[in-house]
Amino acid sequence: MSFFRVTLHRSAIGLPERTRGVLAALGLRKRTQTVFHPVSPQFAGMIMKVKELVRVEEVDRALSPAEMRDERRPERGFWLEKPAHRA
Amino acid sequence: MFGFGAFRATSPMSGGLLWKIPWRLSRFQKARQRQRLRAVDSVVATLDAALAKRGESLKSLELWKETMPTEAEMIPRDKYTMFDRKEKRYRKGIHKLPKWTRVSQRVNPPGY
Repeated sequence: MSFFRVTLHRSAIGLPERTRGVLAALGLRKRTQTVFHPVSPQFAGMIMKVKELVRVEEVDRALSPAEMRDERRPERGFWLEKPAHRA
Repeated sequence: MFGFGAFRATSPMSGGLLWKIPWRLSRFQKARQRQRLRAVDSVVATLDAALAKRGESLKSLELWKETMPTEAEMIPRDKYTMFDRKEKRYRKGIHKLPKWTRVSQRVNPPGY
């Protein structure tokens, strides 16, 4: 079972009520928010309605909020690019 | 010719009065417009590929693929301008369309 990973890229401010209703139905409330929906014609049709506003990927499984946070987290520690000159 | 910094050849620098909505897009606006067109194309392609894998189809998706050209197939005229019956030569810049960065406007009446 695969999922659509839908991210709201452009805001729907000033767009018709119908368009904002579709975003609400998809569960998108603010920019850069990401939601997962199963691949089905129903959800594809909803995404099609707001295709100018979202970015979509097909993924194998829905990530939990904790996993999405881990995705954004930078790697721990640091790299020494060049040894500092020490006298 | 296309320098950077304070003396680059942009529309406001090369002409006089340009503080209103210009009659045509700048090359940067055109580049961003192409980017947006490609973004929509990629969303449509993703939906199509995902549904095709499951052997499903969608009427609105099929209609889009049938009627709408992709960014690469569009002629520049249609990317940056649109039909308007009140305009001289029946064309105006696409940036005159309300919310033009967030709506799709790809096809124009045949012959115009």
